[in-house]
Amino acid sequence: MKQIILIAWREYRQYVFSRGFLLFLIMFPLGFIGVSAAMAVAENSKPTRYFVIYDETGLYTDDILEEIEDRWRYALLSAWDAYARGFVTDAGEPLPAPFAPGEIDRQRIEAFIAAGGADAAATVAAARLKPGAPPFAPPRRSFQHIGATDALADVTSLAEAEEELRPYLKQDRLIPTARGQKPLFAAILIPAAFNGEEGGAPAQYWSKNLTDNELASRVSSALDSALKRQRYAALGVGDDEILRVEAIDAPMESFRPDRAPEEAQLDLQDRIETSLPAAMTYMLLVIIFGAGNLLLTNTIEERSNKIVEILLSSVTANQLMMGKLLGIGAVGLTMPAIFVAGGIGLSATIETGAEQSVGAVIMAALFSSNLLAVYLFYFICAYLIFAMIFLAIGAISNSLQDAQSYMGPVMLLVFAPLPFMILVFQNPNGLVATVLTWIPIYTPYAVMMRAAADPPLWEIIGATALMLAFAIILMRTMGRIFRQAILVASPPKMRDVWRLAKKEKA
Amino acid sequence: MAEPVVHLDNVFKRYGGFTAVNGVSFDVHPGEIYGFLGPNGAGKTTTLRMMLDIIAPTSGTLRILGSASAIPVRRRIGYLPEERGLYKKMKAAEAISYFAQLRGLSRPLARKRAMELLTQFGLEEFARSKCEALSKGMAQKVQLLSTIAHEPELLILDEPFSGLDPINQQTLEGLIRSQRDAGRTIIFSTHVMQHAERLCDRFLIMAHGEKRFEGTMREARAAFAQRIHVRTTASADALRAVGGVASIRVEETGDDETTFEIELIDEADPQGFLERLVASGVRVSRFEQAGATLHDIFVSLAGDEAPEERRPQLTEAAE
Repeated sequence: MKQIILIAWREYRQYVFSRGFLLFLIMFPLGFIGVSAAMAVAENSKPTRYFVIYDETGLYTDDILEEIEDRWRYALLSAWDAYARGFVTDAGEPLPAPFAPGEIDRQRIEAFIAAGGADAAATVAAARLKPGAPPFAPPRRSFQHIGATDALADVTSLAEAEEELRPYLKQDRLIPTARGQKPLFAAILIPAAFNGEEGGAPAQYWSKNLTDNELASRVSSALDSALKRQRYAALGVGDDEILRVEAIDAPMESFRPDRAPEEAQLDLQDRIETSLPAAMTYMLLVIIFGAGNLLLTNTIEERSNKIVEILLSSVTANQLMMGKLLGIGAVGLTMPAIFVAGGIGLSATIETGAEQSVGAVIMAALFSSNLLAVYLFYFICAYLIFAMIFLAIGAISNSLQDAQSYMGPVMLLVFAPLPFMILVFQNPNGLVATVLTWIPIYTPYAVMMRAAADPPLWEIIGATALMLAFAIILMRTMGRIFRQAILVASPPKMRDVWRLAKKEKA
Repeated sequence: MAEPVVHLDNVFKRYGGFTAVNGVSFDVHPGEIYGFLGPNGAGKTTTLRMMLDIIAPTSGTLRILGSASAIPVRRRIGYLPEERGLYKKMKAAEAISYFAQLRGLSRPLARKRAMELLTQFGLEEFARSKCEALSKGMAQKVQLLSTIAHEPELLILDEPFSGLDPINQQTLEGLIRSQRDAGRTIIFSTHVMQHAERLCDRFLIMAHGEKRFEGTMREARAAFAQRIHVRTTASADALRAVGGVASIRVEETGDDETTFEIELIDEADPQGFLERLVASGVRVSRFEQAGATLHDIFVSLAGDEAPEERRPQLTEAAE
């Protein structure tokens, strides 16, 4: 056992205490933060994009502008909530509605604006801010309408508008705005015959930028709503009634039938409990892929460096194999363990106060049931099954090139259940889930995905027994290949691998 | 006599239809340096691996340090394989200490021994150098030190001299002798005959998986025919006419004289041959009696051109 631990520890140290691993460990969260920050900076630094509307009907300009304003208000309230969560102290009186962070819907947006908007919110929050809190900065407006412009002053038709605006849209010329000469991002041309009826003319969206569809989709949404309102009005529905109908946001709560009525409503912990299996399964796939590659390259290195014979004069092939499995398995677990622990710690630190932190809920979901034990058990089974395959491939390859011919089918095998996982997640006790459960190499994935959905016990016991029997046979077979091939100088041909897998002959 | 450190009796190793080791038997006694000689592909490494239980024999009996398998006594054995390597990223001292720990030493003791050995062999300044930064010679020294750090009773060295420069070969010879002086038994394989001739108490010659000879240098020479070198103006026929000549070969041709290597028949006396030469009027400017070198014996026994009829005779003579 001492030898196994020694080998495992050497393998572990080789990877985990290497500069590359430590660098990755530091770089990964930094990279994550960096990408998020870069995206935020990119969003904030997007220049305000100017657009013009030429509406021959004279009916839709306000609707379009209102839609754009609504979106900005939503962004404003989201930014305010994030600011309040970060910088308003939990001590003392909480912020009054509608300034207190919470769910964002149309009513709250209207209440927020009616109560004075960001300026009023900042005034109310001023006495409650944490020391050193920066002042609230409202988000920039992404789009700015150019109302009266000389470019369209003498235009009398859609064709003339198009002709007149073309040099600005091509950005050969800048368009005069209240803030000076600016590039024109888009033009919305609404013909007189635009009415949404069959045979009516379509609205036109002109822009040189073909990838940023944000403004186009807002315009489209505004025109949709406007046309629907026209129809409602034609049917005799009053304006107030139309607004009330449009504001409807169907409330819905989810319940579990397997709980007492007072505990039946789904909460955050339930959602995390049902999402955890999927997260764990994907993590398992990533670890198997990562650790499998380490095992492969590491075994090939020992084979090609001729270290293996020295090792085999000191330990048995089985001890060497077990040491490698243990060490590399621990490497595979280290990275997610650090990230999960870091994530839980971070969320526990950030989200303090009345609401239960996400970190605390994840901990509760993990430790309040036997889920963690179930995950660990199947995790180990899946790791052993696939790691043994990688180890055997390493033992029969002198180089990564040799290994490539075996790796293709193996990778296909590893990732084959991936497309089906979403089906198992959505219907944990459905046909796909059952079939995957009974395929021994996928039993761990399927059972982990189903763990929180109370699958039939007999099915789990039966499939697990089958998987264990398969794992034992596979480990013995792959172990034989490893033992017999590891010292053979030239890699065996594909057809000889079967001979190696058969019972060892003295 | 003490129990042999290694005992092989009629050991075979077959891979499918190919016989790598064909009924080999021999004993290695405590405290001796035992040479394992043979050309490439003779079955030396396979035999050594079977001794270490890295691979199992197909049939036959094998005992090492009193055990039927090397596994229980691995910690008492030091093995340096022919093809050897080190972990590139490991430091020299760390590598020696790691292998010593695998062979049963505690971590502190393994580290202490590693530093002592590196100092003893003038490598202390490279103790913290990564193996990938060491020269080939230094890396080979580190590999050798890894083999002896746990102070094994039996050292098995497979081609330990290959790749070493003459100075390091001399150092290694000294190390092997010092290990023997410390009471250890050493088995080493080689195909460089000078090392074997200088170091071995006894040796075994293998070829094509078979044992061709086992014994001391004296026994090998005794079993070999007498050879003499004669420089003369006479012809080969004139020499043959003197009698007692088994074979004759031109060694060197000069302006007037020729040097012949003459192999006498088994019972012939070189002194009597010289007397008969002089009596027959042959003018001799050089007459040298030479025992067979290990190289001669090796080539004769293990080379493909070796006369078939000679092999059983010599093997029987040794046994």
